[in-house]
Amino acid sequence: MATPSSPTCAACGAVAEFADKFCEACGAAFADHRHVDLGGLAGVTDTGHRHDRNEDAMALTVAQTPTGVASIAVVCDGVSTSERPDEASHTAAGAAAESMAAALRAGVAGEEALRQAVLAADAAVRGLAGDSDNAPATTIVAGVVSADQISVCWIGDSRAYWLPAIDAPSALLLTRDDSLAEELVSVGVLTEAEAYASQHAHVVTRWLGADADSPEPHIVSVRPSTPGFLLLCSDGLWNYQPDPEGLHRLALPAALTDLGAAADALLTFALDSGGQDNTTVVLAAAPPVPRDTPDPGGNT
Amino acid sequence: MTSAPEFTAEIFQNEYLASGAREVSAVVSVTSAGAVTTAGADTASSAEIIIVDCSGSMAAPMAKLIQAREATAAAIDVIRDGTAFAVVAGALRAWPIYPANGSMAIANATSRADAKRAVKRLGAHDGTAIGQWLQAARQLFLTRQDDLRHAILLTDGQNAHESAAQLDDAIQTCTGVFTCDCRGVGTDWEVAELRKISTALLGTVDIVPDPAGLTADFEALMTASMAKQVADVRLRVWTPQHTTVRYVKQVAPAVEDLTGMRKHVTELAGDYPTGAWGPAESRDYHVCVDVQPAAVGQEMLAARVSLVQDSDAGSQTLAQGLIKAIWSDDERMSTRINRHVAHYTGQAELAQAIQDGLEARTAGDDTTAADRLGRAVEIARESGNEASAKLLAKVVDVDPVTGTVRLKPKVAAADEMALDTRSTKTVRVKK
Repeated sequence: MATPSSPTCAACGAVAEFADKFCEACGAAFADHRHVDLGGLAGVTDTGHRHDRNEDAMALTVAQTPTGVASIAVVCDGVSTSERPDEASHTAAGAAAESMAAALRAGVAGEEALRQAVLAADAAVRGLAGDSDNAPATTIVAGVVSADQISVCWIGDSRAYWLPAIDAPSALLLTRDDSLAEELVSVGVLTEAEAYASQHAHVVTRWLGADADSPEPHIVSVRPSTPGFLLLCSDGLWNYQPDPEGLHRLALPAALTDLGAAADALLTFALDSGGQDNTTVVLAAAPPVPRDTPDPGGNT
Repeated sequence: MTSAPEFTAEIFQNEYLASGAREVSAVVSVTSAGAVTTAGADTASSAEIIIVDCSGSMAAPMAKLIQAREATAAAIDVIRDGTAFAVVAGALRAWPIYPANGSMAIANATSRADAKRAVKRLGAHDGTAIGQWLQAARQLFLTRQDDLRHAILLTDGQNAHESAAQLDDAIQTCTGVFTCDCRGVGTDWEVAELRKISTALLGTVDIVPDPAGLTADFEALMTASMAKQVADVRLRVWTPQHTTVRYVKQVAPAVEDLTGMRKHVTELAGDYPTGAWGPAESRDYHVCVDVQPAAVGQEMLAARVSLVQDSDAGSQTLAQGLIKAIWSDDERMSTRINRHVAHYTGQAELAQAIQDGLEARTAGDDTTAADRLGRAVEIARESGNEASAKLLAKVVDVDPVTGTVRLKPKVAAADEMALDTRSTKTVRVKK
């Protein structure tokens, strides 16, 4: 593998080169485990037990919009069978978060900002392809949490869940995977249990990249009546617990007091369950936590 | 013709630190490969100046001057064809002996013969102002642009006829211009004075108690210098933000503290001079830094040590090693002591103990002297530094049963000076 493609150091936040796999600013080892906590918005990503590198990526940031603060979160899972999947996921996550922050600041509404962000991410990943016949590819799930609305968009099988602050039974899966398993279930060929037991369960049917059909994302918005949390994750987590209520039990009550600890608890669960895949977990408080300093920048 | 040798840098350290610990220590072992003979390859040009003390004391006894002439002639014989060279005489001021017009000659059979004839006329008058000699050598070297510039400086006395500040100034202006091996003949010169010069100018210092030993010594010095192929090699130490360099020392073949010689490269990197290198050389360096502690389980790069040289194509990295830090809760990991680091920590302490002991002895503080020299005897024996043990045995008596160390009531000045000059010589880690 070439130098890890992440432009920022998890330890010091510097935009730095990683010569010899160490940050050229603070010397920290380039970690395939990273933890970002912006207060009210936290995430963790980890290589897991079975893989050599982390092909997942996340980007977290906060934007001041004309109507208040908004939390922005992106999770991408590089498609392992493509070339340079780690570069694809990092590029997509960074481009999407940057695009979304700019659009929201300019007053663009959540759903439209998400749509633009996915287009921007798709263009960035296409740009990596060169003349490759196995172009870098990645999934994406992106969310924006504003005072009164949560909007999520996705392509592929990275997921978004709504976890209410108290009421576990009303936890929700917000996304529907672009995967072979999901398609087989939806046309009635297999039951959900059968589908996820099959080896094809993780074949994604849509992705971002030069050889993808269309970058038009799925978009969904909810207006929750209670406070709670938006959870974005890669399949490294939901493989072991796809059920919204189950995830709710893992994340709460920790999320009520320490979002970073709750994200870590979800990751630990995935690792303890086997850690077969790269795992990324992002939690965003809804409504967002007000803050004085805009855009602390947690882009990883 | 020979091409530049290849270098390797090997790191010896225990990278595991206890939680909260910040000191990271490592030995960097740098080795140059044997020479590769490649016809027609560009080779570094070199220049040599022999600086001979011609103050009045050199004639008392006359043997010093006679042996200095012969030693200089012998060194001239070793100078390779094509090398620029000159001989300078030093007393209250310095003047050219050969070439007489104050330029540098190019070595060949004729110029070597001419130089040896000129050296026979060396006389002895006046006092000693070594700063003047260094300045004269510097000016001669700067008439040309040779890659490798080396001088041999011989004196028999103290720098009595100029101030310490004048000598310091001269040393400073010569730093980086040429390297200098210093020799004191007899016992009337001052070790600290010559060591100051040899340290700053990246050379060696030694005593030649009997003038008859000069010829062999000069020949050996010139032969070693002729073997140098790569000039001005520097140890570049990169450290991350919030890291401080405690020290960078050469620890083999002798202890030389390079910490104060750091030259700024970037905010995070500095260069320490190592001088010139020949083929099949090996030198060890002890690098010690304080890092910002990270959480248990975290790994960081505490320093990146590179061997660099400037070439026409810019700065070139000849070899590189990484010094790391990993914080661990496991005491078995963090308390393990690296053999190389421990050995050279001991060798540095040995050198310091000898110097402290001799200083105390000179000051009349026999208790401290016996204590420090006793410690030196202990380390020398434990580490197998037999050369230091032998030199120490001429200054102290060790009770074979109790191990108690007593200062010898009478010590020859030459023995004490030999112990002083050679106190920094170290031995390698036992295999």
